[in-house]
Parts: sequence; structure tokens; C-alpha cells
Amino acid sequence: MAPINKKRKFKEVFGKIIEPVALGLLALLFIIPTITVINLEPITKNLKEFTDILGVTTSNQVLVDLVGGTHEIVTSEKIYREENGSYIYNAKLTKRGADFYSKPILVLDNRSEEDKEISFSGGTLNPTRTEIGLIINDQTYRLQRSTGESYTVDILLRPQTKYEVYLTVESAVGIQFSEDFEMKIAAE
Amino acid sequence: MSILLKKALKLSIVPAVLMIAGKFIGVIALIIAYNLNFEVGNELNGIFSTQIFLADESSTLFVNSISDMAMLIILGIPTLYMIVRTTILQSATENPRTIAKVVKFNMLKWVTSSNSTFLQIFIWTSFLLISSVITISNSLQGDSYTWVGITGGVLTLLSIWGLIKTFEIETDKVYPNSNNHSYY
Repeated sequence: MAPINKKRKFKEVFGKIIEPVALGLLALLFIIPTITVINLEPITKNLKEFTDILGVTTSNQVLVDLVGGTHEIVTSEKIYREENGSYIYNAKLTKRGADFYSKPILVLDNRSEEDKEISFSGGTLNPTRTEIGLIINDQTYRLQRSTGESYTVDILLRPQTKYEVYLTVESAVGIQFSEDFEMKIAAE
Repeated sequence: MSILLKKALKLSIVPAVLMIAGKFIGVIALIIAYNLNFEVGNELNGIFSTQIFLADESSTLFVNSISDMAMLIILGIPTLYMIVRTTILQSATENPRTIAKVVKFNMLKWVTSSNSTFLQIFIWTSFLLISSVITISNSLQGDSYTWVGITGGVLTLLSIWGLIKTFEIETDKVYPNSNNHSYY
């Protein structure tokens, strides 16, 4: 009789111990598929086969790639190439407090043997007292003033060099809504 | 460990696997069927950093939308099937007209017993709800077609309505509706 009681007691204690683990497992059964499905969403990116055309003397020899990753205010980043060879970078700037934010957004890769002039132009649709700029090779450039006035940024890309482009966002006041940011990147 | 928890764990495995399979098979099947240029990379800094890259935005939008739809269909059809079957079975036990209709459509065998429990329907609806939230969020962000988001929304509303109906049926079993009886 005693061993049966012992067995039952062990089962009861074991059941109590395992219950939180089982609850965690149940939660994981919901969380893992959710993260996996979000992660399985395809992303647009300039694939090697698509842009890597070394040896052809055109502006296409400059590769523009998305850095990606997650950021506090720069979300839903996308890049695509237009028919004329220029690139369009899109992102959503979410609501934010009055602060300075920066994020690496693009990698420029000049695979040609000659200098390439790259121009950046764009900004948000409406002025929101936000200064938008770029940092390329430790140099800062202004893309859009807080009044909404846009500038074109021109840089020279040396042959066989790779630069990382940072997007900087400096809001003088807190912004309570998301806004779309669009930038055109053209290589000559 | 409680029986409810054991059963919940057991019942969650199939919809969890189907949710991933629906999306994954959808993406891979479309890439193969349309011979799309793709790459698998791990450049993001997330929990799972592996990502599928496609060459142009229109292909990304197309593949994302249709794979979302595949995931919704794979989860939606069994969920709605379970809800409809449970509802018809319950209605048939209460209403002779339903039995007549069931016989007319030769569905008597189909509704003679219900293998679906409220817990099963609840779990499947939860997975469908998660899938719909992902799909709707994709549609709002412009990463998926609008009609896919709308379909997801409609499916969710239908399954939530069915879940409430099933809950009513289950509670009626425990606390029979006093209006239907003359106990007093």
C-alpha cells in the first residue's frame, strides 16, 4: 500500500512542478509560429544576380544595399531600383519624442574602377520641425530642414570603396504620428 | 499537470505546425512556380535573423500576399468546419426542422457526433486570429494586398462569432437555457 501512496505523491509533486513548464510550452506554441511567420515574410533586396554586373561601364556598377535591422523610429524600410537605374529608399518614421536619432540604412559599394558621383534627394511629405540628414564617411549632410525645405546631397564615391549611409532625424518637438520618408539615390 | 493544460498542449501542436507550413509552403511554392530570383540571408539583428530576399518589390508583394492567404486558408477552413459541424449538431438535437434539412442534404452521418470540443475550436480560432492580425498589419503597411487583409478580417469575425456560438452551446449543456423549458 505504501509504495502506491509514494508513487501517487510523487506524481502529484511532479505534476505541480511540471505545470509552469507546460504553461511556458503552451505560450511558446503560440509565440514561435508567430515569430516564424513574421520572419518568413520576404524582403526586397538588390540581389547579386540582379545588380552585380561587373565589367559593364554604367552607373549600375554602384551597388546600393539595405542594412535592415530594427530601430526605435525608422521602420518598414524598403529599397527598389527604378528602370532608369536610380534607387528609391522608403521608410516610415514613427511617432517620437524631441530627440536626435540615427540609423545605418544603406551600404554603397562602388565596384567600378572609376569615381562615381552619388546624389541623394528626398524627405518627408510635410514639414514637422524635424531636421533630416545623412552621415556618410563621418561627414554630415543636410537632406531636409525643419521647415520642410529639401536639399540634394552629392558625394563622390571612390573606386572599390564601400560606404555606410546613416539617416539622422532630429525633432525639435515630439511628433505624435507616423510619416513616410522617401529618398532617391542616383549614381552618375 | 491538469487535464485541461495537457489537452491544450496536445491540441495546439497541429495548428502551430500548419500556420508555419502554410506560410513556408506558400512562399516556396510561389518562388518555384514563378521562377523568382531569391536569396536566403541572415543580415538582420533579430531573434531569428534568417530572411528571404526577393529581387523586386512587386514579387515581394505578390509572394507575401498569396502566402498570407495560404496560411489563412489552411487555418480558416478547419476552424470554420469545426464550428459549422458543432453548430449544426447542436441545432439538430434541438430543432426537428434542422434534422429534416440534414436528412434532405444527406448529411446525417456527418453530424451524428462531434469530435470538436470548445477548447479545440478556441485554440484554432486563436491561431486564426494571430494569422489575421499579421495579415492585416501587412496590408496596412503596404506589404500585402488590401483584399488579403480584408479576407483575414472577415475570417476572424466569422470565427469569433462561431466561437461565441460554440461557447453558448457548451454553457447551455451545463446550464440549460431556462426559456426552452417549463421547469417553473
